[in-house]
Amino acid sequence: MDLEGFNEFRDSAHRQGILFFYSGYFSQNIIASMADAVRHRLESQAAKGSTTRKVFSTFIEMAQNIIHYSADHLTDETATDHEMRFGTVTLGRQGDSYFVVCGNLVPQDAVPHLSEKIDSIRKMSAEEIKAAYKETLRAETEASSKGAGLGFLTLARDSTQPIEYSFVNLPENGNAFFYLKAII
Amino acid sequence: MQDFYIPATAMSPEIDFRFSRHVLNIKGESYPENAAAFYNQVLSQLTLYLSSPEHKSIEVNVELKYFNSSSTKILLKLFEILNDAVHAGNSITLNWYHDEDDDTILEFGEDLHSDYERLNFNPIAISAA
Repeated sequence: MDLEGFNEFRDSAHRQGILFFYSGYFSQNIIASMADAVRHRLESQAAKGSTTRKVFSTFIEMAQNIIHYSADHLTDETATDHEMRFGTVTLGRQGDSYFVVCGNLVPQDAVPHLSEKIDSIRKMSAEEIKAAYKETLRAETEASSKGAGLGFLTLARDSTQPIEYSFVNLPENGNAFFYLKAII
Repeated sequence: MQDFYIPATAMSPEIDFRFSRHVLNIKGESYPENAAAFYNQVLSQLTLYLSSPEHKSIEVNVELKYFNSSSTKILLKLFEILNDAVHAGNSITLNWYHDEDDDTILEFGEDLHSDYERLNFNPIAISAA
């Protein structure tokens, strides 16, 4: 990348309101360092405390989703600790709201279940999201979950608009690219 | 029973269980990679402490700046264990510290209170530094 290319890249990030961007392998230590950077970045924006907390929570939930579920992993598929998986996460500001976007590969056969899960949350009102959150918190955890099965509901709870998502199938390797966006 | 201590890390809280004084403190951040693995040892120490037949007056201080979704689920379990201990004849005060403008943590605390009515729930707002 020459200076011109670098400046184009920086200008583009600036135009899109990017405050933080990372693409690479995710480990828990990398997440902890990013969390620190993100918190400082948000505090320097002088956002309301409750907004900062919601953006931070969204960032951590997305980053930990990548660590647990990205199909592009250095560690064993069945690992639950010390995982290293590939993904991209970005945080930005547009007007008065913040967005957090993440992207990672998932196996194609996981797509229907994920779509169904997010679609059902997208249809819920804020009150319904709260109720579903409470119910899931008190229910037995789904077998496929490495967390509490609360990740998407937590994102939805902290968002001011329905969470957005897309899948792009990559026929060459049986995976799909999973794009997820939350606005706070 | 021996006191139980785990130092804080960037992503997991300090656990300072002073069983000898009946004061249990949890303080810091909570987003470990594997919340179940982190908290299992905490819950088992707590269960062991509560299994003694002696009736105790216990102070629990929880001051978490942030906890992720998988920690939330396990914290709920922890409070269920405490609530059961009240049924068994102990008296428990839960001091629930939250940032003054963090409504999420306050609301979670209030939900805990309505689920586990026997805990003497005491929300304490701390002003943002």
